[in-house]
Amino acid sequence: MSTEEFLDDAERKKNRFHFDRHTPEYRQQFEAVTQEMQAKCPIAWSDTYDGHWVASGNREVFELARSAEYLSNDHDVNNERRGYKGITIPTPESMKIQGGFLEMDPPEQRHYRQVLNPYLSPAAVSRWVPVVEELVRASLDEKIETGQIDFVDDLANIVPAVLTLAMMGIPLKHWTIYCEPAHASVYTPPDSPDMPRVREGQMGMYQDLFAQLAAIREHPRPGLMDALARADINGKTPPDMELLGVMALIIGGGFDTTTALTTHALEWMSEHPDQRERLSRERDTLLDPATEEFLRFYCPAPGDGRTIAADCEIAGVQFKEGERLWLSWAMANRDPSVFDNPHEIDLARTGNRHHSFGLGIHRCIGSNVARMVFKRMVTAVLDRMPDYQCDPAGAVHYETIGVIQGMQHLPATFTLGPRVGPGLDETIETLQRVCDEQRLAEPVTVRKAKAEIVH
Amino acid sequence: MKVKVDPERCQGHTLCAMIAPKVFELDEVDGHSSPISEDVPADQEAQVAEAVRSCPEQAISISGGAA
Repeated sequence: MSTEEFLDDAERKKNRFHFDRHTPEYRQQFEAVTQEMQAKCPIAWSDTYDGHWVASGNREVFELARSAEYLSNDHDVNNERRGYKGITIPTPESMKIQGGFLEMDPPEQRHYRQVLNPYLSPAAVSRWVPVVEELVRASLDEKIETGQIDFVDDLANIVPAVLTLAMMGIPLKHWTIYCEPAHASVYTPPDSPDMPRVREGQMGMYQDLFAQLAAIREHPRPGLMDALARADINGKTPPDMELLGVMALIIGGGFDTTTALTTHALEWMSEHPDQRERLSRERDTLLDPATEEFLRFYCPAPGDGRTIAADCEIAGVQFKEGERLWLSWAMANRDPSVFDNPHEIDLARTGNRHHSFGLGIHRCIGSNVARMVFKRMVTAVLDRMPDYQCDPAGAVHYETIGVIQGMQHLPATFTLGPRVGPGLDETIETLQRVCDEQRLAEPVTVRKAKAEIVH
Repeated sequence: MKVKVDPERCQGHTLCAMIAPKVFELDEVDGHSSPISEDVPADQEAQVAEAVRSCPEQAISISGGAA
């Protein structure tokens, strides 16, 4: 359409809603806000953060997210193109790093995904199942004789972190360099007195990433880092700062999200022990739909920002080039026009076309990893700690859900049981040897066989 | 019943292959889905209908037979 047909701004933005997802109130009133926005203004204009659109209705989010020709993810940190601000609203002030291919448009975005897909496809991910089972086993063994565990610190933070490093080709024992900063940088508010310490940890992580990249260039070893070091992106070798953004995206996507999903599911099952028993008993048929239902309901990454790249009309709203837009996966997942009883968890839900991994060309590239790791952690807990009780007084949820809907602590008690194998440090050493000897981090095009754990 | 996956719409969410593993196969490299055969066996029609409903990208279409 031509711009002459555009309504004036007051008319275009007549559906207004004061939307501030970075406040604790948004987390506390999530259901009420969602219901109100979907009923009154499934696409609303909010004056917060220099003004931006907010899409909360399922149909609207679906149509917008799949209109790649009118939306841009570009984060133009050096102001070389149109100065777009990427997927975070508001733009973070701290570090000017492009957030990997999630803050790029095609063709570069597509080139990166083509480089990484053979490491992350369902076939590629299933090769890692024995490694994950062994990591979960060791994490639980550390606590099984005590009758007490913090599901965040002692399980759900560890397994995704160690696996992500293994897939990247980074020494597994370095997981402690990455784990705390990767989570703390998400849950620490910018004005917290703890922020300098968090930033220091983040710098340590970046330093290690640069050191690993240099080491892999000199002595190649398989993994996502090696693929990036050798990548040809649209005919160019990307600069190191761009690769740092990609590596930070893999870590950000690989760590905190799966932790968030797993701990919320474990917390809910502690509150619903009959459902927990049902899932354990009927896991052959129920584990897949239950996983999708926890994804829908707890939506670890609640949304993504976009920039309108060309004047357009989508889902009945006129957008202008340069305007910012928030696509709320979390709210779209609660739309009653698609999901019956959307604010309830139904482990056997059908027709669950949730948006928790995003939609369109930017679908979470690690979705197969997330599902596999979640399922292995949850079923191991059901088997070895079937009567666990979370302690509500000790549970710490992220204060806001503006970035990640996560948990910082989830302590629980359970009837203690016997250890069945070596502890975590020894297991990580064993798994490092297995990774090296079997070259597990090769792409699936090179190595198809599953990992074999040899002690 | 016949089934199609639109390769332009499919983004590799893999739900269809979880729901109807006898009907959909996933590409080894990018996980994108395609039907093993366009013709759906009679005993798989319910699962395929559920896969259609569950596809986040609405990339699957069926024709003929009960939906």
